[in-house]
Amino acid sequence: MNPQALMDGLIAGATIGLGAVGITLTYSILRFANFAHGEFIAWGAYFALAAAGLLGATFGALSAPIAPFSFGWALPLAAVAAVALNGALALVVDALLFKRLRARNSTVIIMVMASFGAALTLRNLLEFTFTGKPQYYTSALQIAVRLGGGIRATPDQLLSLVVALLVVLAVHLLLTRTAIGRAMRAVSENPQLAGLAGVNVRQVIRIVWVLGAGLAAVAGVIAGLLIQIRPEMGLDLLLPLFAAAILGGIGSVPGAMIAGLIIGLSEALAVAAVGAQWRAAVSFVILVAVLLIRPQGLFGRAE
Amino acid sequence: MSLELLSYAAFFLTMALSFAIICLGLNVQWGQTGVFNVGVSGFVAIGAYVSALVTTPQTTDHFGGFGLPIAVGWIAAALGSGVVSFLIGAVTIRLRADYLAIATFGVAVAVQLCALNLEPLTGGPFGISFIPRPFGDLAGSPLTFSLLNLAVLVVLVGGLYFILQRLARSPWGRVLRAIREDETAALALGKNVTMFRLQAFALGGGIMGLAGAVQGHFIGFIAPDNYQPILTFQVWAMLIVGGSGNNRGAILGAIVVWGIWAASAAAIGGLVPAGEQARAATLQIVVIGVALCLILLLRPRGILGELRVVSRHLDARPPRAGGVPTGKLRDAENS
Amino acid sequence: MTPAPVLQTRGLVAGYERDLPIVHGIDFALGAGELVAILGPNGAGKSTFVKAIAGLVPIHAGTVSLGDVDATEVPPHEKVRHGLAFVPQTENVFATLSIADNMRLAADILPAGERDPRIHRIYGLFPDLADRSSRRAGALSGGQRQMLAIARALIVEPSVLILDEPSAGLSPKIVGEVFERLRGIKRSGVSIILVEQNVKAALAVADRAVILVEGKLRHEGTAAGLADDPLVAELYLGARRVHQATPA
Repeated sequence: MNPQALMDGLIAGATIGLGAVGITLTYSILRFANFAHGEFIAWGAYFALAAAGLLGATFGALSAPIAPFSFGWALPLAAVAAVALNGALALVVDALLFKRLRARNSTVIIMVMASFGAALTLRNLLEFTFTGKPQYYTSALQIAVRLGGGIRATPDQLLSLVVALLVVLAVHLLLTRTAIGRAMRAVSENPQLAGLAGVNVRQVIRIVWVLGAGLAAVAGVIAGLLIQIRPEMGLDLLLPLFAAAILGGIGSVPGAMIAGLIIGLSEALAVAAVGAQWRAAVSFVILVAVLLIRPQGLFGRAE
Repeated sequence: MSLELLSYAAFFLTMALSFAIICLGLNVQWGQTGVFNVGVSGFVAIGAYVSALVTTPQTTDHFGGFGLPIAVGWIAAALGSGVVSFLIGAVTIRLRADYLAIATFGVAVAVQLCALNLEPLTGGPFGISFIPRPFGDLAGSPLTFSLLNLAVLVVLVGGLYFILQRLARSPWGRVLRAIREDETAALALGKNVTMFRLQAFALGGGIMGLAGAVQGHFIGFIAPDNYQPILTFQVWAMLIVGGSGNNRGAILGAIVVWGIWAASAAAIGGLVPAGEQARAATLQIVVIGVALCLILLLRPRGILGELRVVSRHLDARPPRAGGVPTGKLRDAENS
Repeated sequence: MTPAPVLQTRGLVAGYERDLPIVHGIDFALGAGELVAILGPNGAGKSTFVKAIAGLVPIHAGTVSLGDVDATEVPPHEKVRHGLAFVPQTENVFATLSIADNMRLAADILPAGERDPRIHRIYGLFPDLADRSSRRAGALSGGQRQMLAIARALIVEPSVLILDEPSAGLSPKIVGEVFERLRGIKRSGVSIILVEQNVKAALAVADRAVILVEGKLRHEGTAAGLADDPLVAELYLGARRVHQATPA
């Protein structure tokens, strides 16, 4: 077994896990499978692309790569902007669409169908604006660093892995140790009781959207940095994201991350065994297996 | 000039009616059993490929090529898709609504993946060409050709509609309606609820497969790219726009939405310079996506009523974190 | 000259559906330090009445006042800040959260410095909960859950505490413990509204009681007076007869 495949799988898995955390939060608190979450990832990547381009054009020095990475300060700054912009995007989409559907007591199916429609709209808006051509944050080349044991990774990849893990850790601490985290968990279980306990449910919903979209933006920037930026990047991730969220157990942030890593590793193994063209099938197989054997996932609760 | 128009109209209607077949199939799954199938494109693809493999002449590009008559191909497509639907349903039909949606989405992705990668079987990304067209030897006179094809589709759609209406009124259809209204009561009466729903799911899937075959034979060639999520989306839009969950609505919706689609494509194609056509196409999809969301927001009463009936028993499934209907969230949000 | 009521409703009409009110114009007043029981047969609208006060059921007409503040339009999460705490009959704790998190959540609306002392004080009243504070609330027994629900409500030091059938599903012994608690809470100055099916236990702790029938307030009196009132006995027995006649 190729240890390099393990490294690649881990890195891919970190991105999937990050996206899955966003999905599991919105799924458990807002109560529907948001098929548009993949598009939040794509929009995050493109927001950062536009912002980085703008920064680089205005302040040339910001584009200069910070050794040993392939990107300059423009990218981290742009990433922050992307997180904010994505949060705003999510609030707009909620206000225009999902909030109104919730207000008329729409069933889960209508919400999913609407998210499907929103996804299509968002994805094609991106393609219209930026065309379908793959884009990159930087054209600087990277030398992979030897880590021993036959494993190599570029500094970009290592940084991304660390950032993903730190972000997920931060989210986990937010949920378990802070007042807003408790409020979110309360709304996830019983919105009415949460209201009685003094929680402003409407505000929690807004915060969940912003948090989910913010996480998606980070995932998008990482995916864009390590692979490429395309309008379909969100759609391609959608099945692995759902598989990871369900495998981890809806509502469990550590579960989503761990499941994401598992799926990343499984994909790498499958690619090594049967070829890269079957990568997407891995998520499907895992998804079906989980739904059949243990629908509550690894860390969810059976009811 | 008017002959051309007539030809085009026949072509348009033929395509619209082929979509109507998919809608009828989806209506069986949705209207009869409340299954939210987000993987329609996969079932359509299965039928298209089965029929293509059965009817095309032998070739080294791919397996199959039995060169059998078109009718055999279509029957094989319906059966093949129906069987696969049955197997998929056996695994997934007991899942919660949203998990079922995700699972069917996964099915469509998996089917497309197989079509793309199993080159010896499916011809890979290049697909299968030279699929025999009905009345193909008359292709020389386009008007006769298009009208004959249209006739085939009218007969097919009419026949399906008739059969499905009879089925709905049959004892089998009555049991399904009972299951829809009150699953617990149906269970108490000793009906094997899962088996009935599975049969309806398979029937719907088989109809979708038939539609795939019809489309494939009408166009003459198929490729994995034809079966993307956008297809699923189009069909759902058709069902929602036209259908109050009923069969007439399915057919009407197909024609209306296909009309909107074709009209917007023509408008954009006409207005936009040649180099920008691809980008214009994406704008078209944006408009359609927004339109569907608007329809969902401003839905006519009819659809609303239908969906409530089905959703009542869906929402009654055991809740778990993430499984409670949105109603409770709405109440807490708006109080 | 009676002091102003801590909670008052005037002509309250409420119900889940606009065209189907369940509560038909109720005038009700709760005095400071009182424990008032709301009794009545099944389906009389007792739960709906208190849920409307708490903001969970839409109010069609009439008003709810907390002290001299008109609270009719106030959303539930703000009613807590006005001193109203409501303990629902079912799902009254967060089962997926630990006891400690349940308590902390309740305390989150208090100013930062007061949270820990308040939690500490309430733990003092409920040592059973303090011992198990890291356990999931879902793992508790019915009686312990009821205690947790009450403890959570007390953290905000409400002026009005409403309980919807706290005895439901509990053994007589536990019911006794819960109601003993309520006595203690009343003594500490909290005014209490108690919706109950268990007429005997309710009248034993209440000062006053009102009887709801078909959404209207039909009868009121002191607890002692009503305990001997044949009308109450008839309503109670009548409720039981109705309850037994209708299939489950």
